[in-house]
Amino acid sequence: MKQKSILYKCILSIVFAVVVLIMAAGLGSVRITPGEIVSVIAHKLFARPLPEDLPASMVSIIWDIRLPRACSAFIVGAMLSVSGAIVQALLQNPLASSYTLGVSSGASLGAAIIIVNEITIPVIGTLLLPMTGFLFGLATVMLVIFFSAKLDHNLRNHTIILFGMVVSLFVNGMLTMLSAAYSRHMNRLILWQMGTFAGRRWMHVGILLAVCILGCLAVCFFHKELDLMSFGEEQSQAMGVEIKRTRFTLLVLSAVMTGVAVCFTGVIGFIDLAAPHAVRRLFGSSHRYVLPMSALIGGSFMALADLLSRTVLSPQEIPVGAVTALLGAPFFLWVYFGTRGKR
Amino acid sequence: MKAIECSDLHVAYEKRYTGTESEVLKGVSFAIEEGSRTAIIGPNGSGKSTLIKAICGMLPYQGSVQICGTALDKMNRKTIARNIAYLTQLSEVFFSYTVYETVMMGRYVHSTGSFGRATKEDMDVVVNAMRSAGVEPLQDRQLSALSGGELQRVFLARTFAQDSPILILDEPNNHLDLKVVSELAGYLKNWSENTPCLPLEGAVTGDKSCLPLEGKVSAKLTDEVEKAEKARPHTLIGVYHDITLAMELADSLILMKDGRIAAQGTKEEILKTDALEEVYGFAVRDYLKASLKNVLGG
Repeated sequence: MKQKSILYKCILSIVFAVVVLIMAAGLGSVRITPGEIVSVIAHKLFARPLPEDLPASMVSIIWDIRLPRACSAFIVGAMLSVSGAIVQALLQNPLASSYTLGVSSGASLGAAIIIVNEITIPVIGTLLLPMTGFLFGLATVMLVIFFSAKLDHNLRNHTIILFGMVVSLFVNGMLTMLSAAYSRHMNRLILWQMGTFAGRRWMHVGILLAVCILGCLAVCFFHKELDLMSFGEEQSQAMGVEIKRTRFTLLVLSAVMTGVAVCFTGVIGFIDLAAPHAVRRLFGSSHRYVLPMSALIGGSFMALADLLSRTVLSPQEIPVGAVTALLGAPFFLWVYFGTRGKR
Repeated sequence: MKAIECSDLHVAYEKRYTGTESEVLKGVSFAIEEGSRTAIIGPNGSGKSTLIKAICGMLPYQGSVQICGTALDKMNRKTIARNIAYLTQLSEVFFSYTVYETVMMGRYVHSTGSFGRATKEDMDVVVNAMRSAGVEPLQDRQLSALSGGELQRVFLARTFAQDSPILILDEPNNHLDLKVVSELAGYLKNWSENTPCLPLEGAVTGDKSCLPLEGKVSAKLTDEVEKAEKARPHTLIGVYHDITLAMELADSLILMKDGRIAAQGTKEEILKTDALEEVYGFAVRDYLKASLKNVLGG
C-alpha cells in the first residue's frame, strides 16, 4: 500500500478520534460546545483562566464525568482491539478474539464471587471488584496456556483454541450455578457482565492508560514476529522466530490488557473482533500499522458506542455491549465484504 | 566441506493420551556436501518430512545433526534460519499482505531490532529475490488475489530473500499444476547455480566455510576469500513425491523407507540398481517409462 495513502488514512483516523472524544464530552442531557470543552481542558491541564460565563457545574460535568468516561471507553476499546489483533494473528484465526482464551469468563467468575459473598476490603475499596476480576481473568488464561502446554509441548494453535473453549465453558457453568444459587444478586451480576463505563473517574483512566501504553508498546516490539506468525508455526519458525517464547509472551500481554479492560468495565464484545479486521482492510495486514491503528480505531469506535449508549434513549442508558454489536455488525460487514472486490 | 551431517538420528512422536512413543526416524546417518543438490524420496510415511524438520530444528531428536561443522542444538532459531531457508508446501493464507511485504519478511533474520526499518541492502535483496522467482511484476498485489502457483513463487522469493546458504524444500510442488512446477524448478535451479552464497562473518576463520554461529554479512573479507565464497553455489535439499522432479533438481538421492535410509548415492548410481523398486514396492522405472510413452504417444 502506498505510503501517502496510509498517511492520509492515519490523519483521518486521528481526526475521527478527536471528533468522537469531543462529541463524547459535549453531547448528553446538557449540551456543551467544543470551545467550552477545550477551555476546561486548558484550565485543568495548563491553569488557563476559564470563561467567566461558564458555570462550575458545567466544568464538573466535563472534567469529572464525561471526559473520564470517554477516555476510559477509548482506552478500553484500544486495549481490546490490540488484544484481538494479537490473538487473531497468533492463532491464525480471523474469528478469534481477545476473549478466546477465557479472560472474560474468568473475570466474570471472580467478580461474581465478590458480589455474591458481599466481600469488602476497606483499604482497596471500589477497586476490589476489578482487581479480583483481573486476577481471575489472568488465572484462567494461565490455566489455558498451562494445560495446552502440558498436552501439547509445541503449544499449537488448535490446542490453545480448544482449551480456551473448554475452560471458558467450564467457568461459565460455574458462573451459572453461582447465579442460580444466589438469585438475589443476579441483577448485579448481569449488569456487571453487560459492561458499562458509567461512574469511571480519572483514577480509573490513570490505571487503564498506564497498562494500555505499556502493553501496546511492548506488543509493538513484536510487530515483525506477528506478521511472520500469521503464516503459521512452521513458516515462522523457518524464518527465525522463537515461536514458543514469543507466543507465550504475546498471549500474556494480550491477557493482561483484556483482563484490565474487562475488570474495569465488564464484558464488551465485538470491538476486539471487528476493529482489527477493519484496520486490515483499510491499512493492509502489516502489524506495523495493524497494532497502532487498531488501538486508534477500536478506541474511537468504543467511545462512539458509549456515547450512543447514554444518549440514544436518554435518560435511560442501554448496555454498551449491545451498541457495539448493533453498530459494529453492519459496519464490519461493509468493511469486510464491501471492499473485497476492490482489492 | 559437509553442509549437513547427521549421525544416528532418531525422532519419535509421543502418542497423545497413551503416552507411548512412536519412532519415525530409526537411526538415520548421512552427509550432504556443500553446494550439492540432494533429493530425499520415498513412499508416504517413510520419514522424509520428519527428517527435514529435524534438520531444521523443528523437532526434538536424539543423535547428532551438524550444520557446517556446528552442532544444531547449539544454534538458536535465528542462527538456524540464517543458515537454512525452508520452503514448505503451499499453505492457506489467512491475512493478506502484499507480495513485497511478504518477500521482505524473509529479511527478518537479518534485521537488527524490532523497529529496524528495511535497509537499502534489504530492499536490493528483496527485489533480486522477487526477480529470481518471477514475481517482481506482482509486488504490489495482495496475496489473496494470487493463484496457487503465484503464491508458491512468492514464498519461494521469500525463501531466496532469507539469503541462507542451504535451501530445504518440503514437497514444494504439491497442489501445483505441471507448468507451475516446471517454472518453479527452473527458478530453483537458476537460483541455486547462479546466485552466490553470501560470505558470512566467521567464514574466514578456521575450516568452517559458510556457517558461523552468529554470522553477519562481512565487509572485512579479503578480496581473495570473497571471490572464493562467491563462487560457492547454494546447497539444495528437497523432499519430493514426484520422482521426475527429484531427478531434474538433484544430483544425488537419498531413498527412505520405514524411517531408515534404504539407499543413497548419485542419480546414476541409484538408477543402476533396483533400489527404487525395493523402496516403493513396484516397478517404478517401468511405470515411468510406460507413462511417458502414453503421454508422448508411442
